[in-house]
Order: sequence, then C-alpha cells, then structure tokens
Amino acid sequence: MNHLSSETFGENAKAALADSHLRGALKNATSLFGERRKAAAASLPNWEDLRSEARAIKDEVLSHLDLYLEEFASNAGSRGAMIHWARDGAEANAIICALTIARKAQIVVKSKSMTTEETHLNDALEAAGMQVVETDLGEYIIQLAEEPPSHIIAPAIHKTRGQIAELFNAELGMPLTDDVARLTSTARATLRDRFAAADVGISGVNFAIAETGTIVVVENEGNIRLTTSLPRIHIAVMGIEKVLPRFADLDVFLKLLPRSGTGQRLTTYQSYITGTKRQPTDEGPDELHIVLLDNGRSRMLAHPVTRQSLACIRCGACLNACPVYQQVGGHAYGSVYPGPIGAVITPQLMGIEKSAQLPYASSLCGACREVCPVKIDIPRLLLHLRAEIAPRKGKVSERLAFKMWARVMMSPSLYKVSSVLGRILQRLVPVAKAWTNGRDLRLIESKSFHELWSDE
Amino acid sequence: MNNTAREAILGSIRSHLAASVPYDQQEISRGFSRMNADQNPSSSVEICGQFKASLEAVDGHCVIVQDDGGIAEALTRIIHGGRIAISDNPEILRLLNLTDLEIEELGIAPNAHDIFRFDVGVSTVQAAIAETGTLVLDSTRERHRLVSLVPPVHIAIVRASQIYRTLSEVLSLIRKDKEISPAVTFITGPSRTADIELTLAIGVHGPQELYVIIDEVN
Repeated sequence: MNHLSSETFGENAKAALADSHLRGALKNATSLFGERRKAAAASLPNWEDLRSEARAIKDEVLSHLDLYLEEFASNAGSRGAMIHWARDGAEANAIICALTIARKAQIVVKSKSMTTEETHLNDALEAAGMQVVETDLGEYIIQLAEEPPSHIIAPAIHKTRGQIAELFNAELGMPLTDDVARLTSTARATLRDRFAAADVGISGVNFAIAETGTIVVVENEGNIRLTTSLPRIHIAVMGIEKVLPRFADLDVFLKLLPRSGTGQRLTTYQSYITGTKRQPTDEGPDELHIVLLDNGRSRMLAHPVTRQSLACIRCGACLNACPVYQQVGGHAYGSVYPGPIGAVITPQLMGIEKSAQLPYASSLCGACREVCPVKIDIPRLLLHLRAEIAPRKGKVSERLAFKMWARVMMSPSLYKVSSVLGRILQRLVPVAKAWTNGRDLRLIESKSFHELWSDE
Repeated sequence: MNNTAREAILGSIRSHLAASVPYDQQEISRGFSRMNADQNPSSSVEICGQFKASLEAVDGHCVIVQDDGGIAEALTRIIHGGRIAISDNPEILRLLNLTDLEIEELGIAPNAHDIFRFDVGVSTVQAAIAETGTLVLDSTRERHRLVSLVPPVHIAIVRASQIYRTLSEVLSLIRKDKEISPAVTFITGPSRTADIELTLAIGVHGPQELYVIIDEVN
C-alpha cells in the first residue's frame, strides 16, 4: 500500500501542495462540509450548551473509564456478546484472525472503521487467508486503488470521478463513464454479491452504552446495516474511549455528530445493537463479538491535557476547518488520523519519535477548537506535545540561538551592541532562510526606540 | 489470555488516572437537548405534516391517507407487482389483500439467502419521529430487519399515533423497556452517499426508494 510516513510530513506536504487537482478537491470538500456544518449548528438554538454537555459527559466517562468499561462489558456480555480485550493492535488482529479461522470463514465484509485502519487489520486478515472487502463506497474505492483514506468521513475525496471510472474499468471491467450514479450502482451490485457470500461482518462502533451494553453505529449508505445483519458472525471493534454512561446521553451526541460531520440533522441510519438475538430463528447474526482496544489510549489518561484527545467522536469537523489540512489533505500526515486531531492523536498512539513533525503542522489559529463538538482544546494539546518534543528533537543550533537571545534581551548593553551588529549584518548575510522562504522578515529599523527617545 | 489483557488494560487505566492531576469536576448540566420536549401535543394532522416535510427534505416519499382503503390504494400505486417481501406483521398481508396487485411472488420475512431476489419490502414500524422524518424499527416486535434493508424499494406503513415529535422522546421510549431489543434501527430517508466527488447518489447499499404511508386517522 502506498503509505506515506508521518516522519516526512514536510516533504509529503510539499508534494501535496504541488498537486493542483488535489488542492481543488480539498477546497471543494472542506468548504462544502464547513458551510453545511455551520448551517446545521445554527439550526439548533442551543448548540453551545450541547457542546458543553457532551464534553462534560466525556470527561465524566474518562475520569472513571475503568468502571464504565467494566459496566459496559458486563451488560453486553450478559446479553450474549463475547467481550475481547486487546492491549494493542497486534493483539486485536490476532483475536479477530483466530475467530475467523476457527469458524472457517473465507469472506469478511467490513464497514468503515478507523480503529481497524489503526491496527492494519486487513493486512492481518489477508495474511490469514481471508478475502477482505471494504463496503463503504469510499473505502471500497481506496481499497481497489490500494491507498489509505484521506479524510475521516469521506475517505476517497482525493480521487476524481475520472480516476474512479478508470479504476472500476480496470478492476471490475465496467465501461468508462463519468456518471456518478452509474459508478455507485456498479459498486452496489458488486458488493451485494460479497454481502450475500460473507461469513463474517466487521464494523466499528460510534458509541457504547455502559448501562445497557448497547453499541451504536451511524451511517448513510446502509453497508453497516448489511455488515451487521447478514453474516452469521458480527465482530465490532472499538477503542476503549467510546463508552458513554447512559442511553439518554445519545440524545446529545446524535445531535452533534451528524451536524458536525456532514451537516445532516441525522444520518440515514443508526443501528442500536444490544447483545445477540433472543431466538435462533430471529433475524441477525448468531454471534456478536466486541473487541475493546487500548493501543496507547489508557496512557493518554495520565495528563488532563492529553486526556481530552480521548473525547474525540471522529466527526472530521476539525479537518475541514484547518488551513493546513485544507491545503495538504489527509495523506501528507502519513497517519490513519489526519488533520488537527490526527496531529495530536498520532504522536500519542504511535510514539512521539515517529511523528514529531505533526504537532508543528498547525498555525495554532484555533479554528479546530471553534468547531469541535466536544470542545477539545487542540491548540493547547499541540503546544503540550511540542513542549515534549522540543528538548528531544530541537536542533542544538536552535537551542543555542534561543539561549543567546535570552542573554542578549536581559542585558541592555548586549542589546545595544547586538542591534548595531544586526543592522549591519542583516545586509550581508541571509538570515533564517527556512523561515523567510515563506514569509517576509522585517528589517531592523535604522534607529532603535532608545535612540529615538534620546534624540528627542 | 483474555483475562490477562483485561487486567492489564484496566490496570493501566487506573494507574494513569491515579497519576493524573485530579480532575476538577465540572457540574454537568443536563437536559439542554430536551429543551423543546414538553411542548403541547400537537394535532394528528400537524404532526403528520411535520413528518412528511422532514422526510421529503431527505428525499423520501410520503403519502398521507385516512383509512385502510387509502393505504391499499397507495400500495397499488407504488408497487406495480413483481416480487414482494413483507414483514411477519399480519397487518401487512391483510392490507395487501385489499389491493388488486398482481404479485409474482410473496415472501414473508425471507431469510438472508432468499431476500436478495425481492423487488419491494413492506413493513410497519414501532415508532416515528416528526422533527427528523425518522422511522424506528424494533426487531423483537416485527421481523423487518432485512425487508427494510435489502430490496431496492422499502414501503413503511405508519399510524399517526406512532409519531413522536422529537428524537429525545423516542430515545427515552426505547430506554423505558426493561430489556432493550437486540436490534433497533432508525431510518431517515433512502440510502445515500457522497463519496464520489461529493456528488449525492441515492441508493448505494440500502433501499433506493423509501415510501412512507401514514394513516392520519388511526
């Protein structure tokens, strides 16, 4: 797969900026989503109150996460769900592969799940001999193209209909067309066949309710309903932070999530799944497995600033609002989670060494914080992470320069000498080239304030 | 093995929470979302009209009728015949018998293998939401999980008395049951996607057409 690395964000971004088609697509997508979100938020009289309420609920969950997780596991378990705990991605993949192998499954249908992207589940299942089919239209397209998703809720926004038509032509033998409806119906027909044949359906989870053991998944296409209704085994994979205390809490989150993501009042479908069916003759799968994944999440609880990244409900609003994401798109981040929230989650999940550039992929303008439905203070998180990175990754020359600057600023005589020197030197040597490449450097004035004052 | 992972994860959560600065508990103020819940109950005509407008805003079709004759007439108009899958609610069969449709094949709650060949699915619902145009299907009350999902056309028959005003009301209604049904589904309009160039395409995986027939009187 054509995965970029988050270690090379700078180069990835440069390449993305040179791609005029990509920038056009990003502009359309982010501005459309942004406008729709704004209108949808304005349609409710109490948007700000809802945001505060949602955040308070998330904070409540996170500060007692062990208790709520146990309550959820016990309630889902007593209604027939099998609960599996996975410390990391490899453990989650091993559990799921073992389940599918033990049941002699051959075809696995999947609905969109960022969590399984995070664990690279598809690679593991394929290595175990399964045929894995992504069924969300956008995910299906990028699976055929062997590319990672570029947006949390619209994974294939970087591709044109022309590119998709060529892909369907090569992979599915479909005649070339620029008709989106025909492309969509071809995907529908091809995937129906896979749904009918699949033994296992794998989904993500948007919300897990502690008091009832219910998992809730929201969508527009219907592929999640098919994935969770047709195959005889349903495996749901969720990060441990997805728990909500009460069923009634859904009220707030179902108002915030669709409006923030696509600007809809409600997505087309919500499925509330509580344990397994009661009678063997009832509709739906025979088995329900819920995989609870930690993979670095529990570590984030240790600090109140980093903890808030676990409040994220994956709506994608911060991506659309971010001036950096708007220009470079999702692939440049080299991570499953792109944009502002990706820049804070990725270093915490994958290790700060591997993604030290990401917290700097922001102008700290605060647009992400303004749109976040759960009021995550992303700029503060970015600064927090930068403070962790600086002592490790900061260049010796940079640290030395700031030390000297501090010395100079504390001593009037040194300040006087250096401003005279600066005035001369700035004409002779190019200063801070990397910085001035994209910005203008103001020249030092010929007379300082002190000098002007004494002249008076 | 599973137990080890469970203990490790819960242990990690506890130790990291304990290491953290105590969280300054915010007072959770609840009920903002339910601000509009206690308005006066509106008339049947008004609430049916609101449901219809909400559903049409998301590309669903809505027919409001006054009696069984009206339902039968609407069914005849929407279904032209062909293979029809219905839920196990006997009400559907009774209403279909009032029509003079030429039905090629009738399946009652077909299973996951058979459902794919049907042209139309017909069900009732357990509740509906006027503010969003949403249908609420509870799988323990009626076998309509596949009938409402797999055929390209879904027709739902709704009684005016089943329509609630808000999402909040319906969520608390579901919670009121001692045991929540294993599968509750909310449906708002036909299946849709905008995954290709953000161009709206209706009917990607679920039904391409959704018809709701409301009996305004009963």
